[in-house]
Amino acid sequence: MADHRATADDDGGILVNGDKPPRPKRGGLSERALGRLFVAPSILLMAAVALFPVIYAFVLSLYDYTRRQREGFGGLQNYADAFADDRFWGALWFTLLFTVASVAAEFLIGLGFALIMNQAFRGRGLTRAAILIPWVIPTVIAAQMWFFMFNVTPGFINTVFGLGNFNWLGQEGWATFAVIFADVWKTSPFVALLLLAGLQTIPGDMYESGVVDGAGPFQRLWYITLPLLRPAILVALLFRTVEALRVYDLPQVMTGGAFDTESLSILVQQYVVRTPDPGYGAALSTISFVVILGIGMIFVSLLGRELVLERTTER
Amino acid sequence: MSAEQNSPEQRRRKHPGSLAWLRSEQGAVRTRSVGRTVVKVVGLAAVLFWCLFPFFWLIMTSLKQGDRALNSPDIFQGPFGLGNYENVFDQNFHLNLRNSLAIAGMTTIICIIIGSLAGYALARLPLKRKILLLSGVLAVSLFPPVALVPPLYEVWRTVGLLNTWEGLYLPYTAFTLPLTIFILTTFYASIPKDLEDAARVDGATPFQAFYKVVFPLAAPGVFAAAIIIFVTAWNEFLLANTFAPRNPEVAQTVPVAIAAFTGQVEFQRPIGTITAACVVVVIPMIIVALVFQRRIVAGLTSGGLKG
Repeated sequence: MADHRATADDDGGILVNGDKPPRPKRGGLSERALGRLFVAPSILLMAAVALFPVIYAFVLSLYDYTRRQREGFGGLQNYADAFADDRFWGALWFTLLFTVASVAAEFLIGLGFALIMNQAFRGRGLTRAAILIPWVIPTVIAAQMWFFMFNVTPGFINTVFGLGNFNWLGQEGWATFAVIFADVWKTSPFVALLLLAGLQTIPGDMYESGVVDGAGPFQRLWYITLPLLRPAILVALLFRTVEALRVYDLPQVMTGGAFDTESLSILVQQYVVRTPDPGYGAALSTISFVVILGIGMIFVSLLGRELVLERTTER
Repeated sequence: MSAEQNSPEQRRRKHPGSLAWLRSEQGAVRTRSVGRTVVKVVGLAAVLFWCLFPFFWLIMTSLKQGDRALNSPDIFQGPFGLGNYENVFDQNFHLNLRNSLAIAGMTTIICIIIGSLAGYALARLPLKRKILLLSGVLAVSLFPPVALVPPLYEVWRTVGLLNTWEGLYLPYTAFTLPLTIFILTTFYASIPKDLEDAARVDGATPFQAFYKVVFPLAAPGVFAAAIIIFVTAWNEFLLANTFAPRNPEVAQTVPVAIAAFTGQVEFQRPIGTITAACVVVVIPMIIVALVFQRRIVAGLTSGGLKG
């Protein structure tokens, strides 16, 4: 107890220099105890509903099941099965392709939107309001909407582009394109919002001096805007990549995972609900967890870690 | 509210410098300024079209009546009417709305209560291993929900939480907590520390300093976080579709219902009913998004961006 009091005072010394106000003792908890008490519920809940299931999934994945009936200990057999399963590799490939393609397209379109909105003084409020609409629309609704627009009946997109009865959702390749397109529609505005916030922190005199030095619009974009926008770009890319790797709603609703559009999330969900095999499903979910969290962590440690942590601790 | 409404005026007054710079630059290159204005207008129109047109299509389609109109690609092909909306509510959609409201509401309340405590502790109070804690929170925010699907399904099945509200809002809370904590930590950190110190000098305990001084000041941030949490929970589909796939009477949420609407003919999705249900769900959300636009944008961008 005495030790704690001493360290608490040391920490307090950094925050309040010199004459510090008398630390109130009556009734209230000390700051350190209060801190622990405040953080505890969040940590406990996240541990119980996020961390524990992951460990439990690993335990499940070591058992052999027939339907929901446990048959015995199977060791790593479920993992061996998964790595020998073409369906798993197909889902992994689609998930990665979807992530790379959609994040790249969303970044380019989002950057374009943000630059347009940043240029305009009139109409920026209106556009910024409009840009929230795709964000607020549930992904399932966006998926249904684009399903009908791409579908052969009523065939809206086919009519607009004069494509006759082109079956977007019924063939490999184009089905992937349609799913990616729907995602790009829904989340490009969100990326634009994040980038616009970054753009607005760039002081105007940077461009003024750029103009004085004879830089053209593209040079200003390349040498002034993009370097200064780097933090915002990194955060947007991190958020989007992690989200895109989890993709479930769009392919589930638009194609049901057919025509090479089965994502890892759809695959795992299949083995839990439709063709139940808890052991194999858990093995697949553990692999997905490692892949997705692994990519996220690499991303964070390479690019975003300092950004996010600095911001929240230093201020 | 009124401050938000006349804010364009205020902004113009607040940044006279930047406007003056724009004018002088436009004056210098007057020949190109007309072309630039055209480019700007076209650009803005493109952004608006991108965001609004599909939604317009959705509304027009939901108002069409009868098979012929619904299967026609022409968005102005009538007859129009509200029949699809009647069908939506014949399918117990109001129960889905109730479930979604309850689940997203509970998620928001729990998340705000325990998230604002944690955010305050991380922003202000002396804690050991703060970096480690923040890294842990960050790791959970990278967490793929699909990792929970098999283990939680087994646990929920044993404990009897499948097809219940609790079975959904507990995991939702765990998943939205990291974002809540990041947003709120930033907001708390931006409140001047002097206010708290003053409260302490006046004899407030640390807890009193938190809930009497800091918490009310952080209200705009808390509100922004609440909207974002609510929208996230309202839109969730993977866990909802796994843990409560059927039965609007019990816990089936709106997205699951929208994905599951079936028509008379098999393999033919009832386009009118689905689009009408989509509009019913989307209109209130759009109104909320427009009314609280500024706060949402501030919350979304402060989550990771603003320093």
